[in-house]
Amino acid sequence: MKNRLQHLLGELDALERSARTESPMHRLDARAKLLATTAYLAAMLSLPLSRLSEILLCALFPMIGAAMGGMRLGPLVRRSLAVLPFVALIGIFNLLAHRTPALRIGALTVTEGGIEYAAILLRGILSLAALLVLIGTTGFYPLCRAMQRLGIPRFLTVQLLFVYRYLRMLLDEALCMMRACEARSYGRRHLPLRVWGTLTGQLLLRTFDRAEQIHRAMLARGFTGRIPDCTTAGPRWRRADTLFLAGWSLALLLMRLTSPAETLTRLLL
Amino acid sequence: MHMSDALVSPAAAAAAGTVSLALLGTAIRKLRPTRSGRPADPLRNERIVPLMGVMGAFVFAAQMINFAIPGTGSSGHIAGGILLSAMLGPWAALLTLSSVLILQCLLFADGGFLALGCNILNMAVLSCLVAYPLVFKPLMRPDATPGRILAASVLASVAALGLGALAVTLETEVSGITALPFGRFLLFMLPIHLAIGLGEGLATGALLNAVRRCRPELLDTGRRQSLNRRRFGRSLAVIAAAALLLGASFSWLASSQPDGLEWSVARTAGDAEILPAPGEAHRAAAAIQQTTAALPDYGTTTAGLAGCGVILLAAWGGTRLLRTGRRRA
Repeated sequence: MKNRLQHLLGELDALERSARTESPMHRLDARAKLLATTAYLAAMLSLPLSRLSEILLCALFPMIGAAMGGMRLGPLVRRSLAVLPFVALIGIFNLLAHRTPALRIGALTVTEGGIEYAAILLRGILSLAALLVLIGTTGFYPLCRAMQRLGIPRFLTVQLLFVYRYLRMLLDEALCMMRACEARSYGRRHLPLRVWGTLTGQLLLRTFDRAEQIHRAMLARGFTGRIPDCTTAGPRWRRADTLFLAGWSLALLLMRLTSPAETLTRLLL
Repeated sequence: MHMSDALVSPAAAAAAGTVSLALLGTAIRKLRPTRSGRPADPLRNERIVPLMGVMGAFVFAAQMINFAIPGTGSSGHIAGGILLSAMLGPWAALLTLSSVLILQCLLFADGGFLALGCNILNMAVLSCLVAYPLVFKPLMRPDATPGRILAASVLASVAALGLGALAVTLETEVSGITALPFGRFLLFMLPIHLAIGLGEGLATGALLNAVRRCRPELLDTGRRQSLNRRRFGRSLAVIAAAALLLGASFSWLASSQPDGLEWSVARTAGDAEILPAPGEAHRAAAAIQQTTAALPDYGTTTAGLAGCGVILLAAWGGTRLLRTGRRRA
């Protein structure tokens, strides 16, 4: 439990650190990256499961993104695997349901279900990898600003920024409380519900206090309930952004409309 | 309950996303202070902005401190919809919970980006806008005893999570990615989420009681108290209807699935023989698919796979070269 909190804090740190490095991918406008990732997800997820080759080909997007952003592939893949347990469990049924042989690799016969299962797992891993590349090369503040400039209401983005801002603080607070609790309960592995209730209730009260302080501070700075728009000045859209977005859109469209795997087969044979 | 992108089709994601976005828009319109000045409770409205932010962070942190549910082997994390609704009101809770879900998706890749609409619908909308007003609110009174608060929380949480599990199953089924039959998936999802709902309800109740003891003014208790009696009757009717529906679907499931235990044992053992032959409708659909498909063969060939593998390897090698080149430079 404590480890989960520490793990989360560590992840936040890692995220900030990776978002603040310098690379061609980091220099791109967050809007371009957000739109390209959305287009990629839509294109990849709309591929039928039987087209395993094309889905495999889609791995190029996170790979190239990671390379452009200076992210290492190993940790990226390892973190993408987090999606597997549930998806693997649900996907099993495809493996069992469709048992017509589809292709033969040497002595190994792969059924349609096998291909579908692989495709489902790949979908999960690839969509997560693309998301991780987007976050890792952008950072949360620019991403929020990009969402706002793309038309998401300010009320929501400000709320997101608020939560992000106070998340670390409350996690620290929770970590302190957990540490104190663990110091007093040696050998107990899980919190009983009653202890959990007291602990979380305490955290909740501290949260209220914090909200009260923040509110007073906001009032002292002239807050009237309206959120001022202070995010209009952002990085400008450059030609590289247009190129990036247009290039990927074109590539994804081509991938979706033609079937590159077929062409490849013809080229190889 | 976070859905990942793997099991969702873009069409289903878009549909759920549209619904979620519309509801979020409504919530923002309701919460945003108007220029003319809102008559209802301006103090609360102005205070709600920082409170929403900090409460979102609190839900995030509270989800990290979780208690294991004995027996199921799964650690259900508290979703917090009922808790937030009881303290902020349903619309503010919807926004707060949605922001938590968006953050989870963007920061920790918990739940897919395209499936975000589904996740907001399953976890935020159903608990804040359905379970809270229909189950929790009518059961609550300004002078409620701790036991009553606990009971209301448990009922509302169970309803919210049950509905959420149903929605997850429906969305997965509509997406058509998995071959898992609807009834079985539901049979697998519902009991787990009912147990989680029970745990979450107890936790929510304990928290709400703590808040009520220390800061009663923070609870969003009924402003229209005169309606309470009629609302109580209505909520009872809703619960009864839900129970009937659940019972009916369960008996239908039970009849189509003679022995649930046997099935789950077989499932964990990975035995294939439990899957029945596809029904007539399925066979007909498959035949139609066979005839209408542009490519009669299966679309994936060994050579195609090999080619893609070669390309990916080449790309990987290229990125390696690029990296080492940069390091030297």
